[in-house]
Amino acid sequence: MAGIKLYVGIWLGLVFATVMEVVVRSLPGSASLFVLIIMLIASAKAIAISLYYQNLRHEGIRLATLPIAAVVGIVFLAVSAALTMTMGM
Amino acid sequence: MASKAEEKSSYLPIILASGVAIFMLGLAIYFPLLILGLVIIVASVFKLFRDGAKEKFSDDKEVPEEKFPLESVPKEKLGIWIFLASEILIFGSLIIAYAYVRINSGSWPIATETHNVLLGMTNTIILLTSSLAMILALASIRSGNVRELKIALSSAFVLGLAFLVIKLGFEWPDLISKGFTINSGLPASTYYTLTGLHAFHVAAGMVAIGYLMFRTYQGGFTNTKHVGVENVGLYWHFVDIVWMFLFPLFYLI
Repeated sequence: MAGIKLYVGIWLGLVFATVMEVVVRSLPGSASLFVLIIMLIASAKAIAISLYYQNLRHEGIRLATLPIAAVVGIVFLAVSAALTMTMGM
Repeated sequence: MASKAEEKSSYLPIILASGVAIFMLGLAIYFPLLILGLVIIVASVFKLFRDGAKEKFSDDKEVPEEKFPLESVPKEKLGIWIFLASEILIFGSLIIAYAYVRINSGSWPIATETHNVLLGMTNTIILLTSSLAMILALASIRSGNVRELKIALSSAFVLGLAFLVIKLGFEWPDLISKGFTINSGLPASTYYTLTGLHAFHVAAGMVAIGYLMFRTYQGGFTNTKHVGVENVGLYWHFVDIVWMFLFPLFYLI
């Protein structure tokens, strides 16, 4: 029963974070700052789903290495793309 | 006390691989990085040879502790996580391509004026709720409650269907009627490619959930035998995670 309460609590947090994303978007201010805040909220939601719903918090670090390695690969690709754009290549 | 396997372990392969990555990055975009990568590669190889010469890695007998690092993970679970890692690469690459195209484009339509934020938010909450239903399905069968498993799986299936009906039945026809078609430019083609691929994954997940429901009604799952529910759940939560990024990228930013 404690587990079910936790899952429902996480779901409430995720719904609240989704509403916050929409609210943040409607506020006046710097667009770059909003992009940063909204993407941070999205990342936090993704991490929460991985940890609690996909149960990665209870899996060993060795299994977690698989998705982490894929994410690191994507970050590497993003950095390469960003550097390419910055240097106009 | 460190085991024999730990004594003989080395970070050098990771350092060497990082050196190769930096070298390749330098080759593509920035020459000094190429030099740095080359220095790391040479230093790592030199250290590997030196350790090898000292016979650090050799042993008269095979070290019994050495084994496949993920040996303790059940094969089905390992398989689904490798599949999910490949899915991260597919969606990640497409999202980065989208960001690259968008940043390099001179003009881009305002997200909130093109897309219906309310429908996007509704779909997000629907997917989050279906994820909750899937984790409750797993919790139910772990406690041996087949009736609750049936309810939770049916809920997840119906919510997935609701997501697709909103996406393909309302949003897409509305956008197409406004001239926002897949051929109308990069904003539209990137939108349809990413949300279309995601919708396909939702549909595939629904097929898997449908199969779980069929197996449940046949009495295929018990509190000790429910690997299928766990693995389909992992996939379903992944589809949810992807949408957590697509929603802000297309509807808010």
